[in-house]
Amino acid sequence: MSDNNALPLSRFTIIELNDAGMPVPLRLAASLAGKIAADLGATVLKIEPAEGDPVRRLPPFLSHGESALFQFLNTSKQSVRLGRGTLPDLLAKAQACLFEEPSSLAEMVRKSPATPIELAAFPVGMEPMPFSEFTVLALGGLLHMVGEPDRKPLRLGGHQASYAAGFAAFTGLATALAARDAGRSAPGVRVSLTEVMQWVNWKAASGAEASGKSPGREGKGSEFQIVPCKDGYVAVVYTVTQWPAVRALVGDRRLEDKKFATRAERRDNVAELYAILRPWFADKTRAEIQALAQAKGVPFGPIFSPSELLESEQYLARGFLTKFGGGKIPQLPVQWNGRSFAPRAMA
Amino acid sequence: MSDPLDGVRVLDFGLLTAGANTSAMLADLGADVLKIESGAYLDPFRVVGKIDNDEGWWNRSPQFRFTNRNKRGLAINLKDKQGQQVIRELAAHCDVVVENFRRGVLDRAGLGYADLKEANPRIVFAAISSQGDTGPERLNVSFGSTLDATSGIAALTGYEGEEPRISGMDVNYPDQIVSLFAAGIVITAVMEARRTGRGCFLDFSQREVASFTLGEEILAASVNRERRYERRGNREDGIALQDAFRCRDGRWIAVTSEANDAAIERLCAANDCATALQMLKKKGVAAAPCNDGNDLLRDKALAGVSLVRDRDGRLVKGLPYSLDGRGLAIERPAPDLGQHTEEVLRALLGYDDAKLRALAEAGVTSTTPTIGEI
Repeated sequence: MSDNNALPLSRFTIIELNDAGMPVPLRLAASLAGKIAADLGATVLKIEPAEGDPVRRLPPFLSHGESALFQFLNTSKQSVRLGRGTLPDLLAKAQACLFEEPSSLAEMVRKSPATPIELAAFPVGMEPMPFSEFTVLALGGLLHMVGEPDRKPLRLGGHQASYAAGFAAFTGLATALAARDAGRSAPGVRVSLTEVMQWVNWKAASGAEASGKSPGREGKGSEFQIVPCKDGYVAVVYTVTQWPAVRALVGDRRLEDKKFATRAERRDNVAELYAILRPWFADKTRAEIQALAQAKGVPFGPIFSPSELLESEQYLARGFLTKFGGGKIPQLPVQWNGRSFAPRAMA
Repeated sequence: MSDPLDGVRVLDFGLLTAGANTSAMLADLGADVLKIESGAYLDPFRVVGKIDNDEGWWNRSPQFRFTNRNKRGLAINLKDKQGQQVIRELAAHCDVVVENFRRGVLDRAGLGYADLKEANPRIVFAAISSQGDTGPERLNVSFGSTLDATSGIAALTGYEGEEPRISGMDVNYPDQIVSLFAAGIVITAVMEARRTGRGCFLDFSQREVASFTLGEEILAASVNRERRYERRGNREDGIALQDAFRCRDGRWIAVTSEANDAAIERLCAANDCATALQMLKKKGVAAAPCNDGNDLLRDKALAGVSLVRDRDGRLVKGLPYSLDGRGLAIERPAPDLGQHTEEVLRALLGYDDAKLRALAEAGVTSTTPTIGEI
């Protein structure tokens, strides 16, 4: 946003309390929520333990050994190190405080004037256990959904368990700020990574409830497959109503066979279906495939790596990736009256 | 006690998950959400979640029920001039619009941001689309896992050295996370609109939301163009051992360990899941069963606030957080098609019997679909 237009959260001060010894997945979630608020203009005071936030030492690393993970998660914040004596003073001036639930300082925060936004691993009442983002994906049922049915289940790339919870914590934080701003009492917010993963994976519960059988990973039995092409891979994805357009795109008469007429039949004959589809992809590039498919209204997805996204015409046109440090970083994924929120370096 | 968003009213054109769930999250916080459909265009969840073909099938989809509880439902034909006029009148009484139509659909109906801003300068207009409202790919079609592929997530998902993987049609992961972020931004914008008297246009790209979750990877790639992206199964940099292991009873356990201890795999293979979990817990190793949908339904403590039952005892989506220690109160089940059209048009716009009857007779409002498959 331009300088003459104050950022939307610039009236607020938020503490991100990083106590020593907290589980990293909770830190990643709290830091993401704090980062979003900071990029939106809030004064976010990140209180690090004496030895520094351990995320400073986590991969991936930049050329001089700095952590890209730490850099991404802590844009636009102010780093503060202090003795415990001054924490009550800071809390008295803040509207909200993000912290990890096992923190020894939790009670102090809950009793302070700042609205508590707590990040936890498990629902209230569930017996705690050692955990990681990976085991949270398993608990929440998301792990069960990806991979081949007769092989081990697979995690999704990235820090999805922590970041989905970080998004939820940001929305909880915005809710608390809006309630305070309207002169109402703001609810304390508690986000657990496990509940967020189940919430994200709601179709597993919905499907199991409706049919008694849980959805699960279908792998090569799915109607949607990843197929190799000339310069990489493409995800074959389409709705029921787009099937005629897929047939027209590939232009092979064998696809008109009635054994491919419905979704259920295509799944029953999926190996045969892909034996027909694959050659069409083999001699084309991702760009060619995307152009041909889009022209027919077919939503095939070329697979891009994070480094290839740096060249994405769409991202370049929208200015989604912006200069940061010596490299480029994604901005918040929203434009507000056409403006983006450029992240600032940590102060 | 008042809810955080009491007094906020939402004109909800949200469909499927990305749009409809953003407004559901606002409803759960106390906003009055008016879901707009029409007989000619139902929320596709009513159709893809169809469980029978009997009269009223469109009101029985579990997927629709999960995502639209706590809303009121109106059916108004947006292609009809009179219907468009009704929407503009409703917009004057609303604080927020949520929509995830293909770009240009609402503009062509005279219901885009420019039009509704004229009716209500305080309106916060949240447009959620696969690629965003600008750029050369703004009109691209996309469906669920298309964005796993184009966002970068699929490139980092897969078995060691094998092809990339998508989350698939039973997850459609990029559709699920956008509302977690978008709801917070909408609330922030409502706060600003209250303070300044001016609304705004919020342009969300679902693909950007998904890529944003790989922020550190994109940053690292930008300074090191040689950085290779290979599928690595369940492994992660900086973690000695992380994988899923099959137990004697066929169940899988997910393990993350600070020590690369081959005994863990043997321990899982030699024991039932429950026993293996106990043994790993004693060792202080992070371990969890790979739950499926039925496990999630069975374990109430695990579900926490993420699932809840409506007044009819039917399962619906809960909250991704608890507020003051509480989960979600379902004030009303998901609406039947057009269930609240008359109630809302009477109360907000002062329409009388004659006017409502005329709209119904002209097919502008309805309670039954005029279409079959979507």
